[in-house]
Amino acid sequence: MKSKIVWIQGVTCNGNSHSFLNYQNLDIFLKKVEFLYHPLLPSKYSLKELYEKRFDFDVLIVEGAIKKRYERGIVSLYTLIEKLSLKAKKIIAVGTCATFGGVFKSYDEKNIKGLIFDGEEKKGFFKELEEKVINIPGCPAHPEWLIYVLNMIEAKKKILLDDFLRPKEIYAYTVHSGCIRNEYFEWKVDAKSFGTKEGCLFYEQGCQAPYTHGSCNKILWNEVNSKTRVGMPCLGCTEPTFMKEEPFKTKTYMSIPANMPLGVPKRAYLTLTGVAKSFKIERLTKRLIDES
Amino acid sequence: MRVELIEKIEGEAKLEYKFKENKIDFVKIVFPHYRGIEEILRNRPVWDALAINPRVCGICGHAHLFATVRAIENLYQNAGIDVNITEKAKLIREITLFCEHIQNHLKWIYLVIVPIMKSIAKINIDQNSFLEIQKAIVNINRVLAIFSGQWPHSSYMVPGGVVCDPTNLDIMQARNFLKNALYIVEKRVFENMAFEEITVSELEKSRTDSGKIFRFLKENSLLSIGKANDRYLIFGEHSFTKRVKIIKTVSYPVKIKYVKEKSQKSGFAKNVTYKNNYYETGPLARMMLLKPNLIKQLHRVYKDGISTRIFARVLEILFLLKKVEAHLNSIELSQKSYNHIKTEIKEGFGESAVEAARGSLIHKIWIEKNRIKKYEIITPTQWNLSNGTLQNPATAQKAMIGLKNSKLAELVFRTFDVCSVCTTH
Ligand code: SF4
Ligand code: SF4
Repeated sequence: MKSKIVWIQGVTCNGNSHSFLNYQNLDIFLKKVEFLYHPLLPSKYSLKELYEKRFDFDVLIVEGAIKKRYERGIVSLYTLIEKLSLKAKKIIAVGTCATFGGVFKSYDEKNIKGLIFDGEEKKGFFKELEEKVINIPGCPAHPEWLIYVLNMIEAKKKILLDDFLRPKEIYAYTVHSGCIRNEYFEWKVDAKSFGTKEGCLFYEQGCQAPYTHGSCNKILWNEVNSKTRVGMPCLGCTEPTFMKEEPFKTKTYMSIPANMPLGVPKRAYLTLTGVAKSFKIERLTKRLIDES
Repeated sequence: MRVELIEKIEGEAKLEYKFKENKIDFVKIVFPHYRGIEEILRNRPVWDALAINPRVCGICGHAHLFATVRAIENLYQNAGIDVNITEKAKLIREITLFCEHIQNHLKWIYLVIVPIMKSIAKINIDQNSFLEIQKAIVNINRVLAIFSGQWPHSSYMVPGGVVCDPTNLDIMQARNFLKNALYIVEKRVFENMAFEEITVSELEKSRTDSGKIFRFLKENSLLSIGKANDRYLIFGEHSFTKRVKIIKTVSYPVKIKYVKEKSQKSGFAKNVTYKNNYYETGPLARMMLLKPNLIKQLHRVYKDGISTRIFARVLEILFLLKKVEAHLNSIELSQKSYNHIKTEIKEGFGESAVEAARGSLIHKIWIEKNRIKKYEIITPTQWNLSNGTLQNPATAQKAMIGLKNSKLAELVFRTFDVCSVCTTH
């Protein structure tokens, strides 16, 4: 029997729904599941029926932040989630808004939150549901991350989670690992400007990948690329601190980046930087592809 | 009054109908949500808008990014700072924008239009056709991601150019993904990709989904329903558009300063007018400028009824696929991707317009003490789905008035490719 899913939206831009439609094996996946409701795909029920009808289903997916008085169909979003969460065996918060509050939280700090978390704190509107919830933050979440979680649930396999209820198989990495600029990072060679293949974006352009949990450089976006590969700094969108001010600049204290790569003490980092910079690696100061 | 909730239009809207003698006498369009992007931007450093604004909308984030970049560039220009964008960066920006349009239009046909047609009468397009089209969407978004890193939500355009530095290998991959998409679209949507040459009789005979849609409209006498004001607007300037209004078939120049936004009592969307008149923006407006055969023929007979509106969007898919191909072929990789702009500017104003899939998108930015003092966004859906009065109905309202039932009205409403998310940014 196909597993049944209900996908509803809170305060959102629909980015996660559209990201999901990028999944390359959607046709195969849809043979295994049935959407009783999806914000874009044809589905069995209307929003009204979703609230009025009695039915059983397996997974509730929530996209978007939670705001108590936010209309969804004929009831408020809060009431709708309240009802659906009783029946759902598992709940997935997809995207950073549903997980931590996300970008829209800053419009109304007090009243916009994630399901379980409110920023970094476990003070979301539905924190009593913690046992059932798996978070897949990201702005948006990669379709493969979501499909992985759904597959694991379907196969009744245990998903190991970190403190923010994020699956470790996806979020134990940092976005930095797998970036094709890693050599430049190791030897502390900065990107001179935007629009080049050469150099690391950590020192000047604000790349947050070394302290952002996620696998953007392992499971590539649209199967072909990532922000950092293309030359754009990681915005740290899988973290509760998203969206930081001045994402295109690296915040520094006395010219040392304010945020260290995950788990690296400042002093060790400085020593390493000193050593790395004492090497002058010709190859890394030149253009990757030149005419000579 | 009868109220209907319209779903799966990038969020929801409510249509409040008034009937008179079994016909729709008036419809009010209400958008119930609000997310406060303009407020979120307030007091932020200027470049923050580049990261925040793609989040206005999950389906046209690139258009919002493009509009943001142009607004900031315009701000610099107004302050006397030189902004030099290379031809290469311009082409790349357009490629990603056009790809976003293409994938949007494909989703619109199969997820927005075909389902409502099915609920009205029999149409011979099966459930699984979207899954085939989805492969084309995946490929188009790959083309996008090769340059922008990811879709949705990338911020790869920055004032002065783009952050990427593509290679010949990237261009080759992009071409291959595009070919895959072309192949599917040709098989499913239209077998003749020569967008300039397609005629009504060819459309009528076509075995593809376009032909099926045309015959559906014809057999159900729907070809000419949904006429609006026959007035169009284009603000975004791209390689194939210019700033014009078109009244019937004649174009005139326009200026952003005559655009007015006004709050409404019910709902969160604001009304938009140009010199106090309502206009239609989007693929139909753009095709009225380009005047391909098919649109000329349809417009002559059905004016701006739903058939002209629907096939303008379908045709734009073909046109843009060709355009992306041509752009990919003409990129000079040796040019720079990005020119640094001196950014010391404390106060000022900048504005921009970009063509989003659904029509003209306008961004305005005011800065003071190096921070955003005010940011204003006017989205395409606001043009098409404003609320006028009984005497002076706005575009979509005009198109729905006089219809016999709300199902038909919903079909007409959906031909405008409503985006509730954008409208209520
Ligand atoms: S650009 Fe970012 S992700 Fe890539 S190596 Fe540098 S810090 Fe790491
Ligand atoms: S690279 Fe960074 S900002 Fe981009 S999607 Fe991954 S975690 Fe988010």
